[in-house]
Amino acid sequence: MSEVLNANPTIRNASDLPSRRRQGNGQSSKTPSGLFATTVPSSAYIPDPFLPPSSDSDESSGDDDSVEPIDEQEIYDLISPISDPEHPLTLGSLSVVNLPDIHLTPTFPEKGSASPLTTLTVLITPTITHCSLATVIGLGVRVRLEQALPPRFRVDVRIKEGTHSTAEQVNRQLGDKERVAAALENGTLLGVLRKMLEGCENLET
Amino acid sequence: MPSSSSLPKLSLLSTLTPSSPSRAWLTAPHPTLPLLATCSSDKSVRIYSLTSFTLLSTITGGHKRSVRTCAWKPNLKGESVLATGSFDASVGIWRRYDTDDLNPKPVIAPVDFDARDENIDEYDEDEWRFAIVLDGHESEVKSVAWSTAGNLLATCSRDKSVWIWEEVGDDDYETIAVLQEHEGDVKCVAWHPEEELLASASYDDDIRLWREDIDDWGCVGVLRGHDSTVWCVQWEALTPNIYGEAEKLDVKEKWMKRREASGPRLLSCSDDLSIRVWRRNPKEKVPQSRLSIIRSGSSEEDWIEETRLPVVHSRPIYSVAWSKSGRIVSTGGDGSIVVYEERWRHSGTGTETTMLGARRDTIDGVENNGEPKADEAEPMEDVTGVNEAAEDANGRVATSSESGSGPHATNWVVVAQIEGAHGVFEVNNVAWASRKVPTGEGILEQEDLIVTTGDDGVVKVWRLEI
Repeated sequence: MSEVLNANPTIRNASDLPSRRRQGNGQSSKTPSGLFATTVPSSAYIPDPFLPPSSDSDESSGDDDSVEPIDEQEIYDLISPISDPEHPLTLGSLSVVNLPDIHLTPTFPEKGSASPLTTLTVLITPTITHCSLATVIGLGVRVRLEQALPPRFRVDVRIKEGTHSTAEQVNRQLGDKERVAAALENGTLLGVLRKMLEGCENLET
Repeated sequence: MPSSSSLPKLSLLSTLTPSSPSRAWLTAPHPTLPLLATCSSDKSVRIYSLTSFTLLSTITGGHKRSVRTCAWKPNLKGESVLATGSFDASVGIWRRYDTDDLNPKPVIAPVDFDARDENIDEYDEDEWRFAIVLDGHESEVKSVAWSTAGNLLATCSRDKSVWIWEEVGDDDYETIAVLQEHEGDVKCVAWHPEEELLASASYDDDIRLWREDIDDWGCVGVLRGHDSTVWCVQWEALTPNIYGEAEKLDVKEKWMKRREASGPRLLSCSDDLSIRVWRRNPKEKVPQSRLSIIRSGSSEEDWIEETRLPVVHSRPIYSVAWSKSGRIVSTGGDGSIVVYEERWRHSGTGTETTMLGARRDTIDGVENNGEPKADEAEPMEDVTGVNEAAEDANGRVATSSESGSGPHATNWVVVAQIEGAHGVFEVNNVAWASRKVPTGEGILEQEDLIVTTGDDGVVKVWRLEI
């Protein structure tokens, strides 16, 4: 970690980043307590339209009659503030995560609304093709999403094709549930991840 | 003998309480007692009763990270021994005297609930004794397995190695082999039900077979074919069980004879969404000189992919299990439980029509279970496609093994399916358990149960009503 691998990354202005700001962002940006207490997300979910009505009351846009499903922009808003592990810059401003590379699809398309499972695919673009931190960045994205999204989401984080020399290897690691779970119990790695996620909003409902 | 149209029905029998507050990885049914051991990411193991479906005790304080796996030592009387494997790289051995091994009562007397809660901790400490820790692995332990005789313990880890430990005395274990041929995490180990033959599944997409040959443990076979991580391997029981009636007795006899020669088959499931059955290609009976000490190739085994099960899962398949009655159950990231049966193939009027009949049964089976399902046509298509793939595999195997009647004598069909078994959560493990239930005249009959363990920390017990 001592050696900076990419000393001159391309940085995008905050005003150029895709956004659809919602109201009520005044909450402090502290990391939710117990963020990594378990590997299973438990409390900090975005309001989920598929949940039973009891949890609906917290929807921030109160005057809506219909609940909006979670969309790609919302996913982008969750992961773009993640800090790069070696620069004081966000993954959004470094174009590591990009709105067009976020895809939400029903896990069982043939079942329609009968199955609430949703597959979320996020393709990340490492800043340089041999960036050895790609796995850590991918892990940060996966952890952030698993922590913030309801458990009906199946999160697939992968390296965008052609942007990394060992993409397949990184993808295998990021897709391995057991490895991801074990990584989150590794103190050193956890410290790095916690620092990366410091800038993310607390999504308490 | 069930006719080909009688389908088992899968229904929820019980949800064990209380559940783990976080992800549970695996539940191991006790080999003889109505007990279940559930490993959790909260670093503990919960022991549940399979008769009252409640928590009996919690094993804590042994591991510093998630307990990923556990296994009951077989062939014990009066005492239970549990091996646990953890992300903290260690393996623990725990012991407890059985309170009543013939007629296990609920271990906790039916006192009032408040008193029971208070007693649990105190009780635990007397009950489960930490015997020994087996250190050696460099990173997370993923799976542990006792040999059928119980004298050997196999463990595997992300460090790519498989270790074999032998119990040489009371709580005294010796490392007798460190096997390092895998090129990735070793996800699962499983012992042959009869021979001292170990199968291991890995992140390197391979399955390896290991046995001792003149005092040295070594790899005797590599089973290649999966396109991604092999999550789980399991063995068939000693006696196979094929459902339905065989059309031709000679085909059946030929199949049984060959099965006898090759022994129990091996089952594997993978991130590549396939479930495969592997069969040993028995060696020609060459009069072998006992004096031959040339090791090269002498112990090598030839294993082939016999068939693939119908593809139903749409996310990684984490766990498969083969019941004593010959059925297979699978589960994984899509949260579905699927039960398969092997049936004698009816080929008289053309394979295709009978296959369709089987598929129809499958769909009916799902309907009978009253499971919510949106579209019938799509799953049908899926199964069709899959069976074609299985045909391809069969064809290939048949030509390579030159035993025409073999692979085509039977085929696998889906007989029961539950979607969303743990709600929206992934299911990490499935296992067969059995219990004795009284039938009409007070006779106890063995009943197959399915036990699933999920990311919600919950363990569910399902009945397969035949």
